[in-house]
Formats: sequence, C-alpha cells, structure tokens
Amino acid sequence: MKLEPRAVPLQDAPPKRKVKTTQVVNGIETEVEIEVEDVPAGQWPPRASLRVLNHDIPRVDGPVKVSGAARYTHDVRVPGMVWARLLLSPLPRARVAALDLEAARAVPGVVHVLVVEREETGWLGQPVAVVAAETLEAAGDGLRALAARFEPLPWVVDHAAAVREGAPAVGRGANVGRPETDGDEARARAALSASATRVRATYTVPVQHHASLETHGVVVDYRGGEDAVVYCSTQYAQGFAAEAAKELGLKAGNVRGVVEHMGGGFGSKFGLDAQGLYACRIAKELKRPVHLMLDRRAEFLMSGNRSGTSMTIEAGCDAQGSLTGLVAEAWKHGGLGRGSLSGLPYCYKAGAHFRDVRSVRMHLDASRAMRAPGHPQASFGMESILDELAYAAGLDLVEIRRRNAAHPAWVRQLDRVAREIGWDQHPHRTQPGKPDREECIGIGFGISNWGSGGSSDCEAEVRIEKDGSVVVACAAQDLGTGTRMYMAAIAAEEFGLPVAAVTARLGDSRLPTGVASGGSVTTPSVAPAVKDACTRARGAFAAHLAQVLGRSAEGFRFGPDGVRHDGMTERLAWSKACGTLPAEGLSARGKWQESLQTRGVRCTQAAQVAVDPGTGRVRVLHMVCLQEVGLALNRLAVKSQIQGGMIQALGYALGEGRQLDSALGLQLNASFEEYKIPHALEIPRMTTLIDDDDTRNGVAGVGEPPAIPGASAIANAVHNACGARVRELPITPDKVLLALGKVV
Amino acid sequence: MRPLRLTVNGDTLETAAPAHWTLLEVLRYRLGLTGSKQGCDKGDCGACTVLVDGRPQLACLTLAALAEGHAITTIEGLMPLHVAAGGDGPDPVQGAFDRCGALQCGFCQPGMMLSARALLNRNPCPTRGEIREALSGNLCRCTGYTQIFEAVELAVAESLGVAPAPRAWEEQRMKPAEAQEQARRAAAALAAARERNDGGPGARS
Ligand code: FES
Ligand code: FES
Repeated sequence: MKLEPRAVPLQDAPPKRKVKTTQVVNGIETEVEIEVEDVPAGQWPPRASLRVLNHDIPRVDGPVKVSGAARYTHDVRVPGMVWARLLLSPLPRARVAALDLEAARAVPGVVHVLVVEREETGWLGQPVAVVAAETLEAAGDGLRALAARFEPLPWVVDHAAAVREGAPAVGRGANVGRPETDGDEARARAALSASATRVRATYTVPVQHHASLETHGVVVDYRGGEDAVVYCSTQYAQGFAAEAAKELGLKAGNVRGVVEHMGGGFGSKFGLDAQGLYACRIAKELKRPVHLMLDRRAEFLMSGNRSGTSMTIEAGCDAQGSLTGLVAEAWKHGGLGRGSLSGLPYCYKAGAHFRDVRSVRMHLDASRAMRAPGHPQASFGMESILDELAYAAGLDLVEIRRRNAAHPAWVRQLDRVAREIGWDQHPHRTQPGKPDREECIGIGFGISNWGSGGSSDCEAEVRIEKDGSVVVACAAQDLGTGTRMYMAAIAAEEFGLPVAAVTARLGDSRLPTGVASGGSVTTPSVAPAVKDACTRARGAFAAHLAQVLGRSAEGFRFGPDGVRHDGMTERLAWSKACGTLPAEGLSARGKWQESLQTRGVRCTQAAQVAVDPGTGRVRVLHMVCLQEVGLALNRLAVKSQIQGGMIQALGYALGEGRQLDSALGLQLNASFEEYKIPHALEIPRMTTLIDDDDTRNGVAGVGEPPAIPGASAIANAVHNACGARVRELPITPDKVLLALGKVV
Repeated sequence: MRPLRLTVNGDTLETAAPAHWTLLEVLRYRLGLTGSKQGCDKGDCGACTVLVDGRPQLACLTLAALAEGHAITTIEGLMPLHVAAGGDGPDPVQGAFDRCGALQCGFCQPGMMLSARALLNRNPCPTRGEIREALSGNLCRCTGYTQIFEAVELAVAESLGVAPAPRAWEEQRMKPAEAQEQARRAAAALAAARERNDGGPGARS
C-alpha cells in the first residue's frame, strides 16, 4: 500500500479580501478593517442534524476539576523554586523615605531583594519592592524587615478632589482628559426642547472589582541556560510567553507559556503584568524558578477594575414614547487609566443625540477591561433614564423599550422576557408602586449588546492517530468557559465519534496560534479554526482512504456507525480505517473562517425584586435572561456562562463597589469580607433562555452580554416596587431609605 | 518548627512546620496537597474548606497543630474514601457537579463540594434552602450558583433512587407538563425521605 505524505499544508497565499469588523483587543472593542482569506466558505451542519453540538455536554475537564487534580498556577511547584512577595505603596502618593535593604537581606532564607520604586509612588497599591526567599514565610519576614517608611504627598482619589482647581496632578497632563464627543449638540438640544416629555438626572456607578477566585500570579521556571517555562494565571498564553522571553533575555521560541487551568480573569488577566516582570527579573538574576502570586489585598489594589462613571443624561420623547433627543455628559473614573463607557444612547435609537465624555484621573490603579467594558455603566444610565421618561409620560415600561430598541431582535426578546417574568399581571406597569407594605414587588428590564467576533489569526491542528484517537490543539486557554470541551466536541461531531475519543490540548504557547481570551472572542476564534482543521483532516482522510480502497474520495461519510462510502455496502469501523494510516497518523491545520462565526449578540433581561421599605433591604426574587448565541456549541456551558454574568450584575447592583477613604488614602474594602460579591443565599430563581429564534449558523462569544443589563433591571425594579429611585450603585439599604425620604 | 502527625484522607502523615502554620499552609506547602485552594487566607471565601471529622472547616483559619488527632478530608481524598467505603468511582457529589456543569474555572469547587458533602453527611435530603445555607460560605465568581444547587439536588435524588426535578437548563427541552410532573414526583419522594429521616441518623456516618 503506497501512502502519500499526510500533512495538509495551508494553501500558499490565497487571495485576500478586506472586511470591516469590531475586534476586541485585550477585552476592549475597537472598529478595524481586517484582511481575510478568500477561501470557499466553511459551514456548520444544519442545526437539526447535529448529534453532539448544540446539546448539553458535560465538560471534558470535569473529572480532573472535581477530583482536585486540576493544577492552577498557584499550585505549581518546581524544584529549587523560591517564593516572592510584594511590598505595595500603602498610600495613593508618597515619597519612599526609608527601605532597609540590608536588614531584609539579612533575614534567614531571603535570597533576593528587588526595589522597583525608590523615589515616589503615584498610586495606591503600586509595587515598591519584591522579596524572594526559600519559603513564603521568610519572604514575608523580609518584607517586614524592610521597615518601609512612606511620607505622604498630596493625592486625589475622588472626583471632586481631582477636578478642583489646583488639585495635585496625576502623572503628566491635566487630571481631566480631553472631551470625547459624538453627535450634533445643537440638533439634540433642539430636539429636547421640542419633545413632549423630558427628564434629566445624574447616575453614578462605582468601581467594580473583577474578584476572580484565583489571584494574579506566575511561576517562572528558569534555571539558567537557554530555555524557560512560565506558568501564568492569564487569559493569553502566547502573549505572556513572548513578554517573559523579552524580560528573561531569551529567544521567544525558547520560552513556553503554560495555562493548564486558571481561576477566573474576567478581563483583568492579559499580560505578564508587573508581578510577572518582577518574577522574571528575579529568576534571571538567581537562575532559579520563582513563584509569585498576589495575595487577596494586592489583588484588590493592583490588578485592575471596571472604571466607575458619573453621567448626567437628559432625554425627551414624543407623545407616543419615541426618543426624540438625548444629551449625555459623563466622567469616567479609571484611576490612572482612561476608563471606558459605551456610547449613549445605549442599544436604543434617539432622533438626535450628543455626548461629551471625559476621563478624570486619580492616584489609583488603572482600570482594565472587565466583562463588556463600558457597557454596564452605559446600560445603567440608559435604562434608568428610559424608565424615568416612561413614568413621566405615563407609558408602559416594556412598550417604551420595544418602540425605541435599535434592533428588532430586542423587540421579540422583550415580549418573551416580559411573559416569563409575569409583566401582564404586574400592577405597576406605568407608575411605580408605593412603599405601603412590608414587601413591595417590582419588575425592571434591560437590554444589551456585544460585538463579539473572532480573531482572524487563530489556527488549530487536528491529528488522527493510527490507533483511532484524535487530538485537537490550539494555544488558546480555557478560562473555565468550556473551550476544551467544545474543541473536542467539534471533532467528535465531524468524525462521528464520542466526545471522549477526542483529546483537546490548549493553554500552551507552543501550540498553533490562539487568541487572547477577552471580550467573548475565544469561541468565535477557536471554534472556526478547529472546525476548519477538522474539515481539512476529513478531506485528507477521505483522500487517503480513496487511495487505499480504490474509491472516489468524495463518496466517504464519517458517522457514529463508522466510515461509509456511497459505492460500498459494507462499513469500515473508525479504528479499522485509522489502522490504514501510516505510523505518524494524519494531521491537518485549519484557520479561522469568517463564515463559521457570527457577530452581534443581543440579550434582554428582567428582574423581579422585593423591597422592604422599613429596612431598605432588597431581595432579587427572579431574573430572566433571553440571549442570542448564534449556534450554541454546548447549551449547558452557555447557560452557566449566562448565569454567571447575571449574578455578577446582581453584585454590581446591590453590593459591589470600591470604598475609599479620601483623607486617609485607604481602600476600606480590599477583602472579600468587606467587598461583597453575591453568595448562595442571594441567588434568585433564574430563568436562562437561549434565543433559538436567532438562526444564524455561526458561533458567537456569549460571556459579555449577560453581565450588562441585570444591574439596570434590578435598579429599575427597586424603583418600580416602591418608588425609591436610587441613582447610584450599589443599591444598599441606606440609599433606599434615603430615596424614600425615611432618613435625611 | 513543630513536628506534626496528621491524619489526612485516611493516611497518617508526619511532617514539621512552624507552630503558627495553618492547616491550609501545611497541606499546600508541606504535604503537596494543593487541591484545597487559597482564595483569601482569612476566612472569607471558603475555597480552603476541608472536612475535619466530617464537618466543614476553613483550613486557612485552623491551626495545623489543632488538627492533630482528627480525621481530615481534602478534595483529593473524596473519591478514595468513597471507594474505600464500598462505593464505586467518584463521590456522588463529584459526579453530580461534573454532570450538571456546576463549575467553570473550578477554583471554588473543592471547597464547594466539601461543604456539600458535609451537608449530606448530616442531612441526607436537604431542601434547596438548606443547600443554599450550607454553601453560603463558599464564594463562586463564575457560575451564578444555580447549577451548583442543582448538582447537590441531583446527588440527593440519586442517593434516594428517585428521578431528580428537572434542572433549569433542561426545561427548554421538556414539555412543561412533563417537567412539572417530574418535579412534583421528585418533591414527593424527597418529602417522604425527609419524613423517614426525621430524627434518624444521617445516611453516612
Ligand atoms: S482561603 Fe480560607 S476562606 Fe478563603
Ligand atoms: S467556578 Fe470559578 S469561582 Fe466558581
């Protein structure tokens, strides 16, 4: 039997064409024009014919996770490793007055003291020094021995102080950034004046923390020589490996980045980060591996956050409730960063609009991407003003949304969600309820949108081994959303195999080009590449079998009952067919294809709450979410993702928010004790629905949209229940009582 | 340094650590048992939950020395202990978490599952409210908890040999009447089991 070489190379320089798209870079959306290969468009099979995909599939890494065997970066131990800890600036701005390096070096077990800021710190939590030691304990002793002394310098950590005349400058340039404007101010203001009803209000959202259960950190395994392996709790294996190579002074190809499992990132974990750079520096110096994980306090202070916003919105509508004009003036609070805020009107159309957005900088760590950056903030402003407008005009809260939604998908979603939450039976559809009973029930709504869309660079490889096993590989990482599982499932679907017959490899920078997992791009990047690789592997396998069996390559079909050929009556078992492969098996590389993904995911949510007007306490009773997802690869995992997003929004609505003491320059809640994320007793009944009316047969990322509208819906529901309009998140009992005029 | 003699997952282990070390530190930094997670190190997140004589305990707030003489179970021991007790494969809690997709990143899961196991040890057929209460010290940032509650309910239903109430994620595929009927039957079976168990011993000792 003569066998041809098995690898199917990518075609040489296929023709390219340009497409406009939204790309997400490190979690932030940007409009770009990209070049894509003009290859024949791949297609997913019709939904009705899917055997594995679009079903509930338990994850392939479930067993390793539930058994406790899954290794996270925090758990990596390598021989000769030293442990490092960070000293952080305890003040937003200070002169580093004293650091006793000799004393720290003299602590038994301390092997290295690295000073990263000698003069002046410029933000609360800024790393000042790193101590590495034989034990974690000795590293802590070393930090204490430094006996660091900081002399306070004037700082600003709140809006009012930052914009005041003569305020201490935050870095170079003015504290208030240049305005980013959009729309026609004169037209928008004229439309407002002519509107039948208009309202104006100011809404404020706090800084939210990602609060991943695993903190940031790395293990740099470098012992001298030419090679290193870096383990990192990150959303981008290839990105940090390249950065580490640079810092270690090694060739990029010699540094391997590994992310086997990681404990959540939500947009905060892209690069190597400061602690990763320091770990590399120490490893290079000592020629020993370094373990450096942030502790929880450092995680709160220095690992990024969702920027806060304060926005004043004025909106008007005509007698029917159509938005005629909207003017928004907003300030973003992103610490040293610029912060993010999506466009207003958010997801709705207005006759004319104008917005003026500026960032206000403070001596605090820079905000980062966090699950749909900019969207929840904009949603809270938009959905709140829309409700206020509806009440002022005496309109139904669902009707005003249906009328103004910028896409018809939201109209159908609003109808369904309203039905699920029981809107038609609800007594307060055009006016809020009164605080006249112990438990006031209210309902609120919100809609959201995310661009999604994959990275055109993503590639994948499929190997079919002679023993019938299949391996799918891509460098992208699984943040817990189920990437491994759908990689295996796509191959299983393609070759008619059980999912267990396929092994998925990922989270390793040496594998085919992956993508930074942020902004819901992983699935629309990886799944098309894997599908393309599978299609090519199937073609190559058919060509091989055609040769072996003397049949036409086109006639082969792969299914759960084995390999069939149109011209043959008998079937060939998969394992038999694979047995005819050469010793090295068969492999094929695939590339991302636009036709296999889809962009633009819309979501609608409703929340039902109970407010106790005596105590101001809010309980969320029921949340409904209906979301487009394109082709769902694994319905079980999609729903889990959606629910996770809804509950992060519940936290944003009712409990989360960074609390600072401006005078003392402290964060008051840099721990899970005071920074309250939702726990099991707060979880409402959740109705999580995949919008199967979205028949687009491409995959989309699903993680961002569900995290957006929930907080807005809950805030509106609180008002709807008892008339308490709280315009500042989180809605804590004191604010409810204040809004009800019960405390002054 | 203080010598320590700990019974972990049925094995007697001898080690030494500074006298002030917590059980979590000894597990993770002496014994190489990294399944118990260090999420906050101060008793706020529950990721370090282990069983001490079958009861849930935060390893980050437990002095290792005080754990001497007690049976410690970590996530690594859940399946071996289940098998040693005559069970087959993983502990039913682990199997249910896997099948219900009750995890994403999985960092909270070891603690979550041990809290669930401890609950079922003392109350073999808990209500949803009791499940929430028992898990309220374990934070999860990824899942939204619902599939976790359902996983515990699945483990309960299976131990009683009844079909579980349909999980929220399954409802779309079932006819509403069917789903209601199955939920009703599951509730009745659980109520009956609770009645039987009232005041009686736990299902597992
Ligand atoms: S690590 Fe023990 S409770 Fe968080
Ligand atoms: S699954 Fe990530 S914290 Fe629970």
